Amino acid sequence: SLAGIMLLEVFLVLGTLLIYFLFSKKKEETLPFKDGWWGKGQKPVTQEDTSVRPFKVETTEEELSDLFRRLDQARFTEPLESSCFHYGTNSVHLRKVVSYWKNQFNWKKQVEVLNQYPQFKTKIQGIDIHFVHVKPPRLPEGQAAKPLLMVHGWPGSFYEFYKIIPLLTDPASHGLGDEHIFEVICPSIPGYGFSEAPHKKDFNSVSAASVFYELMLRLGFNEFYTQGGDWGWLICTNLAQIAPNHVRGLHLNMASVSKLGLTHLLSVLLGRYFPGLFGFQDEDVRRMFPFLKKGLYRILSESGYAHIQATKPDTVGCGLNDSPVGLAAYILEKFSSWTDMEFQNLEDGGLERKFSLDDLLTNVMIYWVSGCIVSSMRFYKENLQKGIGTQKHEKLTVQVPTGIASFPNEILHTPQAWAKKKYTNIVSFHFMPRGGHFAAFEEPELLAKDILQFVGKVEKEQLWKKK
Amino acid sequence: ENIFSRIRSFEYSQKNAVLVPAAALGVGGILLYWLRSGRKIKTIDMGDGWWGSGERPLKGKEDETIRPFKIETSDKEIEDLHRRLDHFRFTPHVEGAAFHYGFNSSYLRKVVAYWRNQFDWRKQVEVLNKYPHFHTTIEGIDIHFIHVKPSSVPHGRAVQPLLMVHGWPGSFYEFYKIIPLLTEPARHGLNEGDVVFEVICPSIPGYGFSEAPHQKGFDSVATARIFHKLMNRLGFKEYYLQGGDWGSRITTNMAQMLPQSVKGLHLNVVFVGKQSLGRMICIMLGAYVPWLVGLSREDARRFYPFMQKNVYDVLRESGYLHIQATKPDTAGCGLNDSPVGLAAYILEKFSTWTDKSFLHKDDGGLESKYSLDELLTNVMIYWVTSSIVSSMRYYKENFAKDPNLNAYSRYGIYVPTGIAAFPQEILHTPRVWAKDVFKNIISYSYMPRGGHFAAFEEPKLLAQDIMQFVRKVEQL
Repeated sequence: SLAGIMLLEVFLVLGTLLIYFLFSKKKEETLPFKDGWWGKGQKPVTQEDTSVRPFKVETTEEELSDLFRRLDQARFTEPLESSCFHYGTNSVHLRKVVSYWKNQFNWKKQVEVLNQYPQFKTKIQGIDIHFVHVKPPRLPEGQAAKPLLMVHGWPGSFYEFYKIIPLLTDPASHGLGDEHIFEVICPSIPGYGFSEAPHKKDFNSVSAASVFYELMLRLGFNEFYTQGGDWGWLICTNLAQIAPNHVRGLHLNMASVSKLGLTHLLSVLLGRYFPGLFGFQDEDVRRMFPFLKKGLYRILSESGYAHIQATKPDTVGCGLNDSPVGLAAYILEKFSSWTDMEFQNLEDGGLERKFSLDDLLTNVMIYWVSGCIVSSMRFYKENLQKGIGTQKHEKLTVQVPTGIASFPNEILHTPQAWAKKKYTNIVSFHFMPRGGHFAAFEEPELLAKDILQFVGKVEKEQLWKKK
Repeated sequence: ENIFSRIRSFEYSQKNAVLVPAAALGVGGILLYWLRSGRKIKTIDMGDGWWGSGERPLKGKEDETIRPFKIETSDKEIEDLHRRLDHFRFTPHVEGAAFHYGFNSSYLRKVVAYWRNQFDWRKQVEVLNKYPHFHTTIEGIDIHFIHVKPSSVPHGRAVQPLLMVHGWPGSFYEFYKIIPLLTEPARHGLNEGDVVFEVICPSIPGYGFSEAPHQKGFDSVATARIFHKLMNRLGFKEYYLQGGDWGSRITTNMAQMLPQSVKGLHLNVVFVGKQSLGRMICIMLGAYVPWLVGLSREDARRFYPFMQKNVYDVLRESGYLHIQATKPDTAGCGLNDSPVGLAAYILEKFSTWTDKSFLHKDDGGLESKYSLDELLTNVMIYWVTSSIVSSMRYYKENFAKDPNLNAYSRYGIYVPTGIAAFPQEILHTPRVWAKDVFKNIISYSYMPRGGHFAAFEEPKLLAQDIMQFVRKVEQL
């Protein structure tokens, strides 16, 4: 009977271990694919049209004269004395931008610039999805191009990737070697740019990830890399959670964590004094502290737009779709502070230090000619209306090999110690020497190099196979 | 030696006879002074300011004349408006949106059609000009106000001066329906005894026809000081104050600044920002045993469920506050250029802040309480004066320095106070909490109906409450 008791104990222990492993596997649960119908009215009984149609951006004289008329009639309000960009976009500088917009900016020429890459539209889940698809001009013998999905954010667009695309499709011509060559797909998030806006409620990041997943499958890609920042960070993360077996690698230039707990609180209070205890590196401490200034106050002073867009998008976007100057003021303010918070102290907001007015206004024009500002803002409500940290995908981790490029002027810094709780398979994490939120737009070469080294690691160690 | 010691001791007792009472008097005097100065009411320092462009001129006194003013319009102004209305670019809303995503764009189209084809701005300008308007320069900027006196005063009745201050996104126009009820109560069936008012409604600097400050830092305390100077310039030494929204804050600051000039303070919204552990415990207990923490049944009905009404609802409705308190110039830029955008932004508040259930309606319930004419007249005031950006800057100037708006709450308000608590106000402040800050509440009324824009929506109810309050104060 002693042997009997021992056997029972062994079984009990084994049983417990078995139950434990079964339950702990829950953390590695995949996010379900979110099917939906976003078109007008009822979903038709007929089969959806799955053709991929070529698309070209066009403009008309009428469109241009309407724009000029509105620019001519713009009503400005004088700024307070010595307020620089502390109250928002400074209208004295805005007048100069508008003057350039009227007299020097050439929209017809910019449309040709936009059309330099092949663009397409295809209907998915009831709405037309716009995307850019650039294949490499030449491939060495026996090498295949790696598909790379790059997703933009707000207030950006597919245009943000125009400078980085050649560095990825033709790295050799730019001194980046030819070990890895990509074919790049940059879609517009539904409700942004030339993608149709959803007609139904509830189109959130998981919906966007599901739509883009369908897009990649439709284009014939079974395995691909993804890259994103801003909303693109979240959509690509969700995509990696929905289809981990199809995403070879996930590269991010922004990595936020929304599930905050006691350890985060403690590390904020004590991390400056005991960085090692919380896994902080010197650069983490430099970027995160003093926490009140670089964390709390920054969040409060910079998130007004997110608060109003997450609650009343149709109200706040209304006037912006009617006043191009108002739209430019709203969007360009972000290209100022999110590139470098210190730019708020400059009278011109430092706008032209990192970007050309042509590039900045082309991005604004995409919002203007497509009339998408309201639907772009609705994305905030669909994602944030229930609060931060409450949704299912925020509680799930990511097992896909991940590479993070951490730019110094990103609005909020996320240390690797925090990121690795969510991204359990971080293959590379680098502190970039310069650059802010709009990484691909501002520092395409730095970002391209980081993507290449990340992909190099994943391919060399065949990391995608370890599932 | 005995004699000597006796003489010495006698001298000592004499000294004691003098010294001890003197010392007692001295100590007593110091104690008395300290007690009295401790009890002396702390007031906000009046200070001074300059809000005009450039440097304050060193020489010369400020022009103190009061100049009559009439609102004007022109064909050019109306044509420019019509052109913008005609070219408005509209975005369809998602299916089933009602007012949950903000102003419903299908209903907005109807409003724009009315605005373009039926709304008569020239006629509304005449309506606005029916009361006398004036301008006067204070601290470097032009202050606009209307001043309405009763047309006939019954013999023996005193006329009480009453300063009424508006808020955002309102204007002096909000008071147009209540003014006759206060200047001529008998004629409107409000024979509430012997109270008759002459009403002064200024525009807050940066709003409507008051010039916007050119310098940073123009907050409610600066406004309070300017309005005291205004009343003084008009010849009033003592007066009543009434306010809601920013008007509530400004009039409260006025009462804290010069209590001797404020006969009574009437508010239709109260801000009490003090958070404390005791307050949190009160909140938690109050849900189950309201009477234990001093909450009445009506308080409990309006206040709970706590998270829903005080946290979620507030978060849902405060996006505008957040962006205006941080980036006003950005938020207002497009609105000063698109009248439809301006109307959507402003009228959304007239919907949700009048009744929270209006969120579920496709038309936001706007025309159930207001006429389109009066709603659009208020919007036009912001449009023709191009004041939306400066009106938003007021949020940054007030909140940036003092996010909880409680820097002066420890000063307390000692002037007689009357509070009219309207049921649909966004945040309900129970009397027991208001008492912490307002030390002399003469009347606290639970109004039967009405929301944030009390004077605009329920002028008779508000007028009645003001009058009963003033009557009480006069009898004191």
